[in-house]
Amino acid sequence: MMVSAKAPLIRRRRWFPSRTFYSAAQTEMELVGGGSTQLEMDLGEPAPQNRQRIIPAPAPEPADQGDLFGYLAESPEPTPQIEFDGMAKPVFAVRLADGREARFQHAGSLLESLESQDIHIEYQCREGYCGSCRMKLREGHVHYTTEPMAWIDDDEILPCCCIPVTPLLLQ
Amino acid sequence: MSTDTGMAYTTFNRNEFDTFSQPMFFGELVNVARYDQQKHKIFENLIEKQLSFFWRPEEVDLASDRKDFMDLPEHEKHIFVSNLKYQTLLDSVQGRSPNVALLPVVSLPELETWIETWSFSETIHSRSYTHIVRNIVPNPAVVFDDITKNEYIVRRAESVTRYYDDFINLSNYYIQLGEGTHTVNGETVEVTLRELKRRLYLTLVSVNVLEAIRFYVSFACSFAFAERAKMEGNAKIIKLIARDEALHLTGTQHMLQIIAAGKDDAEFAEIARECRDDVVAIFTEAAEQEKGWAEYLFKDGSMIGLNKDILCQYVEYITNQRIGALGFEPVFPARNNPLPWINAWLNSDNVQVAPQEAEISSYLVGAIDSEVDTADFGDFDL
Repeated sequence: MMVSAKAPLIRRRRWFPSRTFYSAAQTEMELVGGGSTQLEMDLGEPAPQNRQRIIPAPAPEPADQGDLFGYLAESPEPTPQIEFDGMAKPVFAVRLADGREARFQHAGSLLESLESQDIHIEYQCREGYCGSCRMKLREGHVHYTTEPMAWIDDDEILPCCCIPVTPLLLQ
Repeated sequence: MSTDTGMAYTTFNRNEFDTFSQPMFFGELVNVARYDQQKHKIFENLIEKQLSFFWRPEEVDLASDRKDFMDLPEHEKHIFVSNLKYQTLLDSVQGRSPNVALLPVVSLPELETWIETWSFSETIHSRSYTHIVRNIVPNPAVVFDDITKNEYIVRRAESVTRYYDDFINLSNYYIQLGEGTHTVNGETVEVTLRELKRRLYLTLVSVNVLEAIRFYVSFACSFAFAERAKMEGNAKIIKLIARDEALHLTGTQHMLQIIAAGKDDAEFAEIARECRDDVVAIFTEAAEQEKGWAEYLFKDGSMIGLNKDILCQYVEYITNQRIGALGFEPVFPARNNPLPWINAWLNSDNVQVAPQEAEISSYLVGAIDSEVDTADFGDFDL
């Protein structure tokens, strides 16, 4: 051990007890009928079999009908991020050579954005390795969120793993 | 390396050479399996992806498939079992042939390992067919024994294996005798590197067709069953197989495109240009055979959601797609995907994974959280 007396003492990080999170369903009040909880066993009291509990009726939730119209991909995600004035996500026009038009703003990938605006592109893996969604990029630039693995020509893009950084013209 | 006595295969080449100056095939034989220097990094990426895809057939529960199968009408049983036989044939070929054909002539370590990884994953597919067959019939032999007898399967086996066999045949002479005109058992054998490269190129095209088109008729049928909530365990296995095949297809497309672009061998690029008509012929022949197969599948009746005509249109559509990916013009009239619902089945996002794996596609076993935040140093005393 070659420890110099003058060497600064560096203590290891102290141990902190880990915090435990309980999901809402794990509180005693919500264990309805049937089960005896740990707490009850500790008290030595058998749980009454048909104990009546007043459970507040859950607030009626709107039935989740899924992404009926496919708008979710092009609507902003719920995020705790602070929105600054004038800092809205930029919108890029995406045009196709056959005249169809779309706009890209919030979607995770160009493919998702197009699909949500009813422009259906052939796809398979959606992560850049199969090349099924390959399209020709006539104008503009894209940024790849995942490095594409499939073979693509210099003038081609994989919309499943990129987002536009300028307005685009695709074929 | 190619001397008068041929290129004499050695399992550990003692020559010193610069790996970046080597072509993919027919250069120096690989010696050290090292991945710090990579001429084509894509093959390393493919290996990593393939390893992250690892699965075992036994993980998929097929309990409900047994009952589903017994309830199927006879003509649908025929469709299901025939496809299984054909897929078994294809993966039997692919589980060994890339190794036998390509490993003796490969010159880059990352490509060598990709070929081995690729072949290995095909053996998983083969094992999964036994898993499926065991589950639906009391005696699996009745299915497997028919594969070498059934004329519809044998006919296609011939064109699947022809290019491999032609290449391996000549490659063996090359390794033993080198280039030149040789007399073997009284027969004259002409060995030239150019002809070898031509046969290798055509073999890769034929493998590309196998992975890109031949599998998809079977895939379509399996997913059509599952769309009706029948044979769903089988469809889960096919989904995993389809995910692997899409990756293999990408691997072969890269090899073909690297060759065609002349990126590591000018002569090879020239051969690729000369073979353009052969490529179209191989794709067209395969598409016609698959359409013939669709006819055989539905000879006793269609299945709900799929018939001979739609399947034939799908073959034409997918042939255009795949040949387009190699930079060729479509061979059939352009059309939209006649089976658009199949994309959702082919999408690997929907492959069921364990919760701990759900966040990242390549789940790292025993990963250590190496992220350090400034807050971590908050209680350091100096």
